[in-house]
Amino acid sequence: MSVPPEYYLILSAAVFAIGVFGILVRRNALMFLMSVELMVNAANINLIAFAFFYGNLTGQVFALFVIALAAAEVAIGIGIILLLNRNFGGIDVTEAVTMRW
Amino acid sequence: MSEIFSTAPAIVLFPLASFLIILAFGKWMPYRGALAGIVATGFSLAVSIWVALQMALDGAGPYQETLYEFIAGLEGEGVTLTFGVLFDPLSVLMLIIVSLIAFLVHVFSLGYMNDEGETGLPRYYASLSLFTFSMLAFVVSDNLLMAFVFFELVGLCSYLLIGFWFRRDGPPSAAKKAFLVTRFGDYFFLVGVVAVFAVFGTTAYAGENSFINQAADMVGDGTEYTFLNLSSQQVIDITALLILGGAIGKSAQFPLHTWLPDAMEGPTPVSALIHAATMVAAGVYLVARMYGFYALSPNVLAILALLGGFTALFAATMALVKQELKQVLAYSTISQYGYMMLALGGGGYVAAVFHLTTHAIFKALLFLGAGAVIIAMHHEENMWEMGGLKDKMRVTYLTFLAGSLALAGIFPFAGFWSKDEALFETLEHALGGADVLFVAYGFGLLAVIVTAFYTFRMVFLTFHGEPRTANAEDPHSIGWNMKFPLVVLGIGSVLAGALNMGVIKEFIGENNLFLAEWLDGATIGDEYGTAEFALSYGHYGDLLSEYAGYEAATLSPLGPGAIALGLAVIGLGVAWYLYRAPEPEPHMTKLGGVRTVLMNNYYQDEAQVWFATGFTLPIARGANTFDQGIIDGLVDAAGGVSMYAGERFRKIQTGIVSNYAALLTLGLLLLLVWLGIDGGWWF
Repeated sequence: MSVPPEYYLILSAAVFAIGVFGILVRRNALMFLMSVELMVNAANINLIAFAFFYGNLTGQVFALFVIALAAAEVAIGIGIILLLNRNFGGIDVTEAVTMRW
Repeated sequence: MSEIFSTAPAIVLFPLASFLIILAFGKWMPYRGALAGIVATGFSLAVSIWVALQMALDGAGPYQETLYEFIAGLEGEGVTLTFGVLFDPLSVLMLIIVSLIAFLVHVFSLGYMNDEGETGLPRYYASLSLFTFSMLAFVVSDNLLMAFVFFELVGLCSYLLIGFWFRRDGPPSAAKKAFLVTRFGDYFFLVGVVAVFAVFGTTAYAGENSFINQAADMVGDGTEYTFLNLSSQQVIDITALLILGGAIGKSAQFPLHTWLPDAMEGPTPVSALIHAATMVAAGVYLVARMYGFYALSPNVLAILALLGGFTALFAATMALVKQELKQVLAYSTISQYGYMMLALGGGGYVAAVFHLTTHAIFKALLFLGAGAVIIAMHHEENMWEMGGLKDKMRVTYLTFLAGSLALAGIFPFAGFWSKDEALFETLEHALGGADVLFVAYGFGLLAVIVTAFYTFRMVFLTFHGEPRTANAEDPHSIGWNMKFPLVVLGIGSVLAGALNMGVIKEFIGENNLFLAEWLDGATIGDEYGTAEFALSYGHYGDLLSEYAGYEAATLSPLGPGAIALGLAVIGLGVAWYLYRAPEPEPHMTKLGGVRTVLMNNYYQDEAQVWFATGFTLPIARGANTFDQGIIDGLVDAAGGVSMYAGERFRKIQTGIVSNYAALLTLGLLLLLVWLGIDGGWWF
């Protein structure tokens, strides 16, 4: 009980920034998915940290929900990536551009 | 008493029923629907006569009832729109005329259409029934709006029937012309109806709050109507003129008469129906129906008289040079309706209704007679191709002669009594102080000579002399179904004058002027002349002297009657002198340039076409340019800007997920920066 909350927030922000960076620069759809996962978990860290700080269980419960949600999202995301691979012969997101104007 | 009137609306409904039946089953019906039409109009005629007898003998009526209210006004304000019936001497008389002529026209059509093997007969008979229905409903209307509705329906039916032979070139364009020209007048009528609603809040003809009574009160107590700074007298003048617009269009008065001669393109029995009883009569009937309103306005009465007198002469001159039988009759119709307008404007309400009655009979007779001649001549209409038909078509000749004598106004045929009455009433009021009527009377008198002349030019050319073509040598015979209507109407043309022998009233006594008594409501309930109905002849007389300042001079009708008769005989004599020869000369060609002008109808058609193309069209073009350029331009510009912007902006939808993510992130950053600045995080 000696770690101040600022450290948690800095960790969370760093993880979030890594996630955003991944989404912006990566072209591999699987990397996208992982980056999104990082961002979600950055949010989770925040939730847990504040729950711990205030001694309130609500944040932990929310984190559990977010984890379940992330699992579902991964299932759908992997399905999409599978179809991407099938239709475009690869999983580079910059290749799949038929749905534009 | 009211029993009869609960049955009376059936007069109108019989033809409607036959219309629906013929429309649905016409193809499989005997005579292609003619029988249904004959039965329906026959029933209408029988019930009309029965109603008339009840009114004449048992003193039933008058009767007004609202049958259907299709828009209820707000309580105490707004207007209520209704359909209702009004049975009074005028409408019942007209019901008899319309159903009688319609009945005879149906019978005649058996010979004219069925026996000639025309196609499309169910359509023909269905239109005839609808026509009859519309006119009967117009006649019994108890308010102006309902009258307008059926007035329009009458116009539609005339369109359908004039254009019956729509595969030829002429009829469709004639039908269109009739429709458009009458519509031009009806437009004013519609504005007039709205004006009546706006000023009086009701368009009922009868009842204490009828617009006619309200108008009389308004003028009587000098109420100022402040709309546009008009006095109440001016409001009434304008309204009356607007409604008159509809009457001028339908009754083919100058300058809206041009549709009528072209309407000769329709089948001849239809011409008889249109000219005698239905469409053209509607205009005059409308003015007679609301005569109490016109009686309030001396200016409009003067216009009416001048217009009628002028039209009577003007149309008669054009009839002088025509070569087609039906064309002569067409112009004579215009001219005769001019007499009715003259009589109405001259304060001769009874005379106008009387002339409407006798004219219906003799003009239907002349048209049906012309139809018989046309059939006999294998659809040849030019009179110069005829001649010598009098011995070969005895019945047609004699009846046609009776009709012609009536049209020319020769004693003692029907037209003499009524035309003379119209002229006499005008003269009487002219001498009584309404000076402008002298001019109208002069027109009327001149038209008498011209009428007698062209009528007998027609008779001599068609029936007398030597046959000029092979067809005239050996005419096609006509059947009983054409002779029967001719005989009925021929007898009518001889005897109908007995209704109202005004010329000799000094000998037979005022009480034996049956039509005047009838229209005064002498045979029916006391309330007819009082405020509740206020539709009697006597009441109109009071209004005329009180508001229009029409005073009848004391004058024996014998003198004017003799003058009119003398003029008619002169006209007849000239025609006899010029055209009695076995091989008559075309004397009219000696008129040279005048003849050309008359043949071209004073270039009225050209003038109207110029009006449309030279005046209206440029204005319409200008309006179109404004609409296309400014109004549409604004709308199009708004759309164009959106289109252009969309075209550019959609390029940001690259389809590359990374770009979207970058934009999202950028947006988030901008939001954070904004929040930071707004929240004062750094400063």
